[in-house]
Amino acid sequence: MTKPVNLREIVLGILLEITEEEAYSHIVIGNTLEKYQYLDKRERAFISRVAEGTLEHMIQLDYIIEQFSNVPVYNMKPFIRNLLRMSVYQLKYMDSVPDSATVNEAVRLAQKKGFYNLKGFVNGVLRNTARRLSQIRYPDPVREPLHYLSVKYSFPIWMLSKWVAQFGYEATERICKDSHMEKGTTVRCNLEKASVEEIILELEKQDIQVRRHPYLEYALVISHYNYMNAVSAFKKGWIQVQDTSSMLVAEAAAPNWGDYCIDVCAAPGGKSLHLSDKLMGSGYVEARDISERKVRLMQENIERSGAINIRAMVRDATVYDPDSYQRADIVLADVPCSGLGVIGRKPDIKYKMSEKRQQDIISLQRRILDTVQSYVRPGGVLIYSTCTIGADENQYNIKWFLENYPFKLENLDPYLCPQLQSRTTKGGYLQLLPGIHESDGFFIARLRRYVDE
Amino acid sequence: MALRKIRIMGDEILTKTCRPVTDMTPRTRTLVQDMLDTMYDANGVGLAAPQVGILKRIVVIDIGEGPLVMINPEILEKEGEQRGQEGCLSLPGQAGMVTRPNYVKAKALDLDLKPFEIEGEGLLARAICHELDHLDGIMYVRFVEGELFDVTDEEAQEEPEDEWEETEEQEESAEGKDA
Repeated sequence: MTKPVNLREIVLGILLEITEEEAYSHIVIGNTLEKYQYLDKRERAFISRVAEGTLEHMIQLDYIIEQFSNVPVYNMKPFIRNLLRMSVYQLKYMDSVPDSATVNEAVRLAQKKGFYNLKGFVNGVLRNTARRLSQIRYPDPVREPLHYLSVKYSFPIWMLSKWVAQFGYEATERICKDSHMEKGTTVRCNLEKASVEEIILELEKQDIQVRRHPYLEYALVISHYNYMNAVSAFKKGWIQVQDTSSMLVAEAAAPNWGDYCIDVCAAPGGKSLHLSDKLMGSGYVEARDISERKVRLMQENIERSGAINIRAMVRDATVYDPDSYQRADIVLADVPCSGLGVIGRKPDIKYKMSEKRQQDIISLQRRILDTVQSYVRPGGVLIYSTCTIGADENQYNIKWFLENYPFKLENLDPYLCPQLQSRTTKGGYLQLLPGIHESDGFFIARLRRYVDE
Repeated sequence: MALRKIRIMGDEILTKTCRPVTDMTPRTRTLVQDMLDTMYDANGVGLAAPQVGILKRIVVIDIGEGPLVMINPEILEKEGEQRGQEGCLSLPGQAGMVTRPNYVKAKALDLDLKPFEIEGEGLLARAICHELDHLDGIMYVRFVEGELFDVTDEEAQEEPEDEWEETEEQEESAEGKDA
């Protein structure tokens, strides 16, 4: 008989790829589950739960490990530190796995991978953790508030200190806490194909839980489904998976009948398709993105939706396209960003982002803005958006932009539900915060090009 | 150490019933050792004599807890159920879902033909069932629920992992204090 697959070894492979090789968590986990699709549902659930949970709580897990190890986590071999992390995660967060199984499996894995001399170390750290888990002292919320948040919610200190300065301590804690919440999937109803009521009925026929989203009447939150590809409303092109925050982009763009729109960083195409839906078959949407692969992906989404007024094409948003000069009624610039608004879904962002990287991203964002602003016709609209929170990539970019280009901010209130209207939306931009708003963290600004320059 | 050629499904010999071992000869001892070598070399957890072309009631098993040699084995008791993936060295690159008892008790003879009993749960129970079936010409594919599926043999592709050796001492020093 051949060796059965070892689920913990698979998880460890995932973690090594993400934490040591810079791969993205959702891609690595997705690929792994696809590769092992023959495993049963319970085994697949174990893999994703342990991998995602370990990433979500990594700073806290490292803190716990260091209570029982004389070697700091960053000095350990990658294999050993990730083995300890995933094992401590199981000890702390998975009551269904007996502690002895977690410890024994970890020791066995260490041995199997040739770390005979570290068997005792792994065994010692994990046994001590299992025994003394409830006695661990965590940082004190009053004396060390940032350290407390960092260990409790596993966020790096640099990020927290920026947020506390901008949003306040209480809001920062809500943002952190929200990232650990289980959420349903938000979908947009394609109103060209079916009414919201029909779609709800279709979903409920498959025993999927459906709830209307408070911000938009065509947004639904669904849960308790297995695979999106098995959802009939999805297969028919009636719904698109898209966060409400990203739906608000097309709302803020508010295209008129026949408008020519360019979405300069369009993949996977949700916002472009939404625009095309809003244009009701009129006008034209160019969904551009940088790589063949991303554009192919968009093409698939476009085909499923059956829209005719939209085309996907490969274009680099930082390379000037003379044919587009002042031709677009609407330009969407949903630029690459640090992604701090979507940490709930991609926990590894917390550890991969740094202030230095953020600076590089800001330069890229400005290069894109500098290039694509010229595609907006006089009197046309530019929508700037990111899925991140904090002023650096949002308000500061807008301020820089207004100082350098002939645009003005425009009131967003006409396009937003009352709950979202505020002083800043009147001023022309919206910062959504997870945990405060019912959506991902997101930023949208609506800018109009002056008619006479 | 000598490796023997593993017979692949389709080979007639895998469908035949094996004969009991009546006395221990040097030849049979060598066979058992070769079966263990062959199993470890192929990264298996179990191997039955007919899989190397010998129609004798002998199986070897190692689920990671040391070698187990069973001569003329018989299952005495079965209990519970486990459903899981199973694969066979005689059908490389494929696997299927098979339901087996979660617990078995078996008896067999050891290398000196002394009788012993063994109880196994989970993987060991599965391996005992799987290997004993071979002695009666039965492949696990007969029990597969649904389709067989392709699996890549990761173990075979894995590189020896010694690139982490350099920083060894630091953690060793911690071992003494913490373990």
